[in-house]
Amino acid sequence: MPRNLKITLAILSVAVVIGLISLRGLHQRIQNLSEAQSSEEEARRDLLKPTVSTPTDVLVQARMFWASGPDTLTPITVELPLSADPAQRGRQVLDALIANVPSDGERTLPADATVLGFYVLPDGTAIADFSDALASETPSGILSEEMAVNSIARTLENSVPILHRLKILIHGQEAETLAGHVDLTGFFDLNPQAAATPVPTPTRPSVAPGASTPSR
Amino acid sequence: MLNSARHPCVLSAARRNISAILFAVHRFLLAAIIAFAVISVPSTVWAAAWQEQSQTPAQIPAPAQAHPATPPVPQQTAPGQNPLPPPLHSGPTIVINPAHGGTDNGARGQNGQVEKDVVLIFARMLRSEFERQGYRVVMTRNDDSNPSYEDRAAVANGYRDAIFVSLHVSSTGKIGTARAYSYQFATPLAPANSADGSGTGALAGEQPTSARASGLIPWDQAQQPFMAASYRLADVLQAQLAQRFNGSPAISTRFAVRELRSVAAPAAAVELSSVSVGDPNILLAMGAPLAAAIVRGVQILRPVGSTSANSAAPAGAR
Repeated sequence: MPRNLKITLAILSVAVVIGLISLRGLHQRIQNLSEAQSSEEEARRDLLKPTVSTPTDVLVQARMFWASGPDTLTPITVELPLSADPAQRGRQVLDALIANVPSDGERTLPADATVLGFYVLPDGTAIADFSDALASETPSGILSEEMAVNSIARTLENSVPILHRLKILIHGQEAETLAGHVDLTGFFDLNPQAAATPVPTPTRPSVAPGASTPSR
Repeated sequence: MLNSARHPCVLSAARRNISAILFAVHRFLLAAIIAFAVISVPSTVWAAAWQEQSQTPAQIPAPAQAHPATPPVPQQTAPGQNPLPPPLHSGPTIVINPAHGGTDNGARGQNGQVEKDVVLIFARMLRSEFERQGYRVVMTRNDDSNPSYEDRAAVANGYRDAIFVSLHVSSTGKIGTARAYSYQFATPLAPANSADGSGTGALAGEQPTSARASGLIPWDQAQQPFMAASYRLADVLQAQLAQRFNGSPAISTRFAVRELRSVAAPAAAVELSSVSVGDPNILLAMGAPLAAAIVRGVQILRPVGSTSANSAAPAGAR
C-alpha cells in the first residue's frame, strides 16, 4: 500500500473517531436545550394562563366539548366559577376549554393556545381572539380544524346562551384559515334563537393581562 | 507584381458572386414569408371561429337567468361556406383540486408522506377514472405548484357547467375513513339586529344590498347560490364513500371549508384519513376506491352528456 494512502486513511480514521465522540456530546447538548426550551414553554404558559375572576362569579355546571375519539366531540360537565357578564364568562369558558382538558387524548385546542381577548357585540356576535399557537399548532386537516372550531363554538353556545354567532381572530387579526382549511373570514353560528334577544348592555372587552389589544 | 495585379479582379468577382447569392436568398425569404402568411391566415381565422363555438372558459356570456332552458340558436352559415365543427363535449366539466402544493405541504405523516403529494396521485387516478367514463376533466394543479384559493376557484368558475371536487388527506381521524364536505355560510343577521345597525351585514361578510339588487355575486360568496347543489353533491359522494370506506359517516358535513367559498359551481371537498398511516402503500391503495366512489357519485348526479340548470345559473362571479 502506498505511503500517501496510508497517511490519508489514518487521518480519516482519526477524523471519524473525533466525529463520533463530538456527536455524542452534541446530542446531549441538543437534549439539554430542548428540555430547557420545554420548561421555558411551561413557565410561559403558566405566566400567560389567565385566571379571570369577577365579583359575579358563581359555581355553575358548564358543558365542555372535548374530543372523545379521533373524530367526535362529547360534552363533559364540569363545575366552573363563571361570571354573569357574557364577555367575562365566554373568556373563562374558553380558558377552561384549553387548560382544564382531562387528558391529552381529549384535547381539541393546542395546549399553547391562549385567549387574548373575548368581546361581545350588542347583536350577540362573540369575537374570540386567540394567540398564534391556535393556528400554528392545530393539526392540518379539515377534520381536525372542524373539531377545534366546533369545540369552541359548542362550548360557548352552551355556557353563554345569549351569543348568536362567533368570529375567531388570531392575534387580533382576521386570518384567512385556521390551519389551511377552515375559513375564518366569516362567522360561525352559535344559538340561532339568540339573534332575537339582543345583549342587554354593551360589555367591556375582557383582555388578558399583558395581551395586545386587537386593532379592530 | 503578378499577385498585386490579379487581386483587384479576384476581389471584385467574389463581391459580385456574394451579392448575387445574397440577392437570391433575400428573394427566397420574401417569397417564403408571403407563402407562409397566405397559408396561416385562413387557418387562424378558422381556429378562432371554432374556439368560439366550443365551450371554453370565461369568454362565454352567461345566458339570461329568466330563460335557463332556452336551446341555443343554430348558427346560420352562408351558402357555400363549410359549417363549423360541433363542440366536442357536452355535460359537466369536472374540476379536480388537489389541495396544497409547493411550499404548503398540508398534513405530514410520521413516515414522511405529505398530503400535497398524496392528493396529487389521487387526483391523477381520479382524472383517469373520470376520463374513462367520458367526462371532461380539468385539474387546478398537475405539478408541485400551489395556486391560491382564488386561482383554483377561477378554474372552475371559467366553465359554465362545472363540478368542483377537492381532495384532501387529513392528519387525524380514524384511518381508512373518508368525509365529504360542502360549504356552510353563517346565518345572516336580521337587519334590525346587525352589528353596525345598517342592516347590510357588512361586518358579517354577507351579501350587500347593492350586490343583491344588481344580481352580481361577490367573488368571496360565489358558492352561495350553489349551496343546495353542493349539499346534494356532498351527500351523494358521502354515501358512495361510506360504502367503500368502513366507519365513514353516512351523511356529509357542512362546514366553512375555505377553498369552496369562491367556487361558482356545485363544490365538495373529500378528505381521507389519514397521513398518519404507518405504511404509505396502505394510503395509496385507498386511491382506487376513492376515485371509484367519487366518479360513481358524480355519475348519479350528472351522467355524461347531461345538462344542468346550474349551467345557466348566476354568472355574477364569472
